Amino acid sequence: MIGLIILCTFIGIIIIAFASIIQNKLVDSIILFMGVGLGSVVLFTIFKAPDVALTEAVIGTGVSSLIFLMALKHLKATK
Amino acid sequence: MSFKRDISTSSLSGFTLSAILILTILSILIQNIPKQITTAGDKLLELNSQEGVSNAVTSVVVYFRGFDTLGEIAVLFIASLGIGLMLSNNTKCDIKAQSNFMLKTAAKILFPIILLFGIYIIVYGHLSPGGGFQGGVIIASAILLLVISYQNFELSHKIIELLETFAGISYVLIGLIGLIVLDKFLGNFLPSNISNMGMLLSGGIIPIIYIIIGIKVGSEMSLIVQNLIRRAQ
Repeated sequence: MIGLIILCTFIGIIIIAFASIIQNKLVDSIILFMGVGLGSVVLFTIFKAPDVALTEAVIGTGVSSLIFLMALKHLKATK
Repeated sequence: MSFKRDISTSSLSGFTLSAILILTILSILIQNIPKQITTAGDKLLELNSQEGVSNAVTSVVVYFRGFDTLGEIAVLFIASLGIGLMLSNNTKCDIKAQSNFMLKTAAKILFPIILLFGIYIIVYGHLSPGGGFQGGVIIASAILLLVISYQNFELSHKIIELLETFAGISYVLIGLIGLIVLDKFLGNFLPSNISNMGMLLSGGIIPIIYIIIGIKVGSEMSLIVQNLIRRAQ
């Protein structure tokens, strides 16, 4: 059962990562990138690394996507 | 057009060649792995019981590799400095759209809860998963909620400056006291008995250092968030 969950999460991460690089809009790919981070949070929790999972949830999914979104806003402002 | 195609085919063939090379090297490495490997991490985890900290990752990050953590904090400080310098010429943007009533009310209710959760993550960093970095970023996300919902909310630069310098100086001072007392930078000079393992006051200097890291990361990340959102265009 746990192996099935791990396999599904792996395949889901790969599909979401591929979907995020073929998007036309940058906002969509940033949101899908957050999905990749969430999938890896699930994997880190299953593989008994709660510290890394917390860091990934807070920094990888939260702050880095905020910084990406703000950089996008600055790029649009300069154009 | 043909030039571009040449580039793409050559890069594709180079990519496949390198992938095959990496895969062969990996398969050779996997076959040659001995049954029981003892890495540097395993040895550090065995030493964990000397420090009386129930979260083994914390004792590795803060104590055995405390000097690296000091470097990480310096990197974060430089990042905060860079963002501040890069956006310092830009004028403060006046957001025309007033934020929603619902957002304001939710921020009022959620802000203390998120702040308390961040402080809990920092203070219990040596007992449960979490620590200074994660807790500091959670505090910064509570500040983010205030920044996006109240237009006239502004962090006081003097307080942030004071907190950041206090945290940085006290980290180095604790390390130097360890150097003087135990001949080792960041030596654990406070009592850290194994019998206190699992209590809030255990592990000697490790919880104190995590609280310092939490203050530093929280103030730096709050400043980064505020600069990025307020100084647009």
